[in-house]
Amino acid sequence: MDEFTAPTIDWAALSPVLITLAGASVVLLASLFLPPGVRRGFGAAVAAICFVGAAAAAIALFVADESGRGIVSEAIRRDRLAELAQVLVMGAGLLTVGVSYREPERVERAGEYWALLLTAASGMAFFVAANNLMTLFLGLEWFSICLYVLTAIAVERLPGLEAGLKYLIVGSFGSAILLFGSALVYGATGAIGFEEIAAGTAEGERLFLVAGLAMVLVGLGFKASAAPFHMWTPDVYEGAPTPVTGFMAAATKVAALVVTLRLLVTAFPGEEELWTVALAVIVCASLAWGNLAALVQVSVKRMLAYSSISHAGFLLMPIAAGNELGGRALLYYLIAYSAMSVGAFAVVAVRERELAAPVTVGNLAGFGWERPFLGGSMALFMFGFIGLPPAGIFLGKIYAFAAVIERGWTWLAIVGAVFTAVSIYYYVGVIRAMFMQPRELAVAAGGSPPPDRLLVASVAASVVVAVGSLLAADPLIDIARDAVEFLPFPVG
Amino acid sequence: MLGPGIAAYLVLSVVLFATGALGVLLRRSPLIILLALEIMLNAGNLALIAFARRLGDGDGQIFALTVMVVAAAEAVLGLGLIVAVSRQRADLDVDRLTSLRG
Repeated sequence: MDEFTAPTIDWAALSPVLITLAGASVVLLASLFLPPGVRRGFGAAVAAICFVGAAAAAIALFVADESGRGIVSEAIRRDRLAELAQVLVMGAGLLTVGVSYREPERVERAGEYWALLLTAASGMAFFVAANNLMTLFLGLEWFSICLYVLTAIAVERLPGLEAGLKYLIVGSFGSAILLFGSALVYGATGAIGFEEIAAGTAEGERLFLVAGLAMVLVGLGFKASAAPFHMWTPDVYEGAPTPVTGFMAAATKVAALVVTLRLLVTAFPGEEELWTVALAVIVCASLAWGNLAALVQVSVKRMLAYSSISHAGFLLMPIAAGNELGGRALLYYLIAYSAMSVGAFAVVAVRERELAAPVTVGNLAGFGWERPFLGGSMALFMFGFIGLPPAGIFLGKIYAFAAVIERGWTWLAIVGAVFTAVSIYYYVGVIRAMFMQPRELAVAAGGSPPPDRLLVASVAASVVVAVGSLLAADPLIDIARDAVEFLPFPVG
Repeated sequence: MLGPGIAAYLVLSVVLFATGALGVLLRRSPLIILLALEIMLNAGNLALIAFARRLGDGDGQIFALTVMVVAAAEAVLGLGLIVAVSRQRADLDVDRLTSLRG
């Protein structure tokens, strides 16, 4: 009995996860006792405080950590890559709080909404730090299950329920493939920890290892909504409440792509020639499918969903490069991309509330003149998604192309440039609709909602991050370099 | 004395996985699809436990326990969503869930 030693757990490193989880518990419990009128305000305040607190904790950890180390028996990795990703997830969460504060959901459910938002962010914070296949699967399902519920949170709206059910089925299908792949990798290498897998790949059964790696990639492809695993994306993005869509587009991408980078680089450096080529194929499929399908969309939310698929392609491109420049490019790209996703869907949410109808390119007519700030911000986001200044994606794309060129895959950068040119058509279509179409005379069915200062503040913050990431490119690229410098990149 | 080797367990788990995957892709009732998803997850569990047994290692077994918890949570949510959908419309057929398309 006296041999007992308590396990050492680095609570500080887990604090971003724990703060958001604690906030979720507080909101859930308190909304049982609070009168319905104050639940929404209370929940939003707790959520905002927890997101700020968790982001501050992650920043403090980022500053404190020179090099990474495994914690909780190597199940979790405490390093700057995880901490930077956590800051991005919490930032997306904070912006989403502002966007969704006035979302017309029933007041008695307000507590659950904020609790689920916090829990989803908590799961993502856990997921990006995963250091073995079990924590990877657990984190993936943790935030996915929260997002399934958030998608269907308005249970009296059939589109939301339908989207939730579809997301659950397709998402779980992807997770089950990922799980089976993990089992095969475990069988081949005898380990579930990423570093141990890398050490065990040499003598493992080749068939299990390759099949397992392929299935794990497919599972992560579903989460990153990369083609050909993207089929759920348009339906789910369209059916989910618009602020939730914004959060999914931003935070899920950050989490899925950071984990893809970490897993491939730390666990499979020896299989580099397999996964870089596989990713290059996925990149081409995502760029082609996302951009071509976006051309014919009428609904703005579906158009943005296909845009998000095409961005999955652009974001996987630097991972496919397999070099350090690629890691830097990915993280820098994600900073601007996540803020702009939340902002763009926030503008769509405003129009949707005014019209009480799904937003199409047609009924955006005149919006730019009616609400100049939001219209102007949307125009900036659209130019930014194309990859034009003054948004940070401009530099992010150049970096991503540079990473694949450094690897010797100039053709992939050319494919990216061609589809960037294709994307101009549908992004500019939104701007043209907002500013150059005659204003519709039809009365807005949703009435004239009062100006939503919190939402406008969130959009303003997105604009600041989008433009600021270009103006402050030097320090941000340094931060991205610090986050990936310890990763054992297989190329160059 | 000797039971079936690890190959038998792996073959069974692959068969289960394929059954589940085909069920998700081919069946139209969301209830059956949920069932097929559970089969897929349990195929993964069987493979994990078989490998853990061969390696004499606990990690795979702990992994499988975690998966069971996750599978239960997923099943609860899936059934809840199906109940909510069926309250709004009588027929349950994923091919007729077509209010979202573009």
